[in-house]
Amino acid sequence: MIATFALPIAALIIGFVLVFRLPALPPAWAPYVALSLLAGFDALIGGLRARLEGKFDEAVFVTGFFANMVLAALLSYLGDKLGVDLYLAVTVALGIRVFTNLGRIRGLLVTTRHERRQNQQASGSE
Amino acid sequence: MASPPPVGRHWVLAITGICLVLGALLGVQVHTQVVRGETEVVRRTSMMWQMLSEARALGERQNKEIERLRMQVSKYESEASGGKGLTKLVSEELQSSRAATGLLPMKGPGVELVLDDSTMKVGSGVGDQDLYVLHDWDLIQIANELWAAGAEAMSLNGQRLVTGSAITCSGALVQVNRTTVSAPFTFLAIGNRDNLMSALNIRGGTLDGLRRLEFVVKLTPGEEVMVPAISIAPTYQYAKPALQERVP
Repeated sequence: MIATFALPIAALIIGFVLVFRLPALPPAWAPYVALSLLAGFDALIGGLRARLEGKFDEAVFVTGFFANMVLAALLSYLGDKLGVDLYLAVTVALGIRVFTNLGRIRGLLVTTRHERRQNQQASGSE
Repeated sequence: MASPPPVGRHWVLAITGICLVLGALLGVQVHTQVVRGETEVVRRTSMMWQMLSEARALGERQNKEIERLRMQVSKYESEASGGKGLTKLVSEELQSSRAATGLLPMKGPGVELVLDDSTMKVGSGVGDQDLYVLHDWDLIQIANELWAAGAEAMSLNGQRLVTGSAITCSGALVQVNRTTVSAPFTFLAIGNRDNLMSALNIRGGTLDGLRRLEFVVKLTPGEEVMVPAISIAPTYQYAKPALQERVP
């Protein structure tokens, strides 16, 4: 389990360190990058949930990741141009989704553990 | 058993790629925020430095101006004491100009007017607190009435009112000649006492309205009222005397 996630976590750290040395973006872009980040985390956690539910599809995952990031940034940019705080809508929607997915993942992990224990007890009693 | 069906090792690779992008984005964002914080501090510091150096330069310039004017005055005065024709005329002209611009303290018959906020308890009457405190516009109206009644020199809380004196509001306080003053407000005005008194006491006038709302209003005529000189002489940055047009 830990070995499986070593690679993604290493990638996260490497990406961070690599880019941190590059020149910073214009401060005006910061809100959009932040929303893209949120969308990216949402897609990542959604992917993990799909994996646990056995519905993981690479193509869906990768396209969803990039599309959501771009959409989130685009929507808030549009909101700024129109004078509507659409970034709030994005933040709330994605935030709720992240929490829901995390809750589902926790539930899935707990049930698999219970099932495993029951299986062990069942095999032990035989 | 709800164990995930085999989807191969590819899902780990996909997530790894995504994590790389996410990490990069995170790095960009954190870096931007750090840089933004730094530049903000630098910007503010340099702004304040600029303000400080400007204020210092202004102070220095004004000190030089004071020194120059003092020299000029003493020169003129020593020449005037010689009492020779033209110099005497110039000296008199200078005196009257200085009086007109408020550079000389003035004395003469006039009135003293002391004003303070209403003694009514807030909440005992209608309306909000705003009604029971003195505002800049009350003072402007009184100053205007005094000028209209023929006041020749006037001061408010020790600030001489001259051309270019502004009475403005700054939060809970009032500014006169860019100096902050607060209640009680004391007007000193030199002029025809009877005219000044009756102009201020006119029915329906500013003082009448203030008395109705139980403001403290003390108006007393004086034999000899002393009006102080202006503390900072006016400077002319844009206006220049158009001498050519007047002198043929």
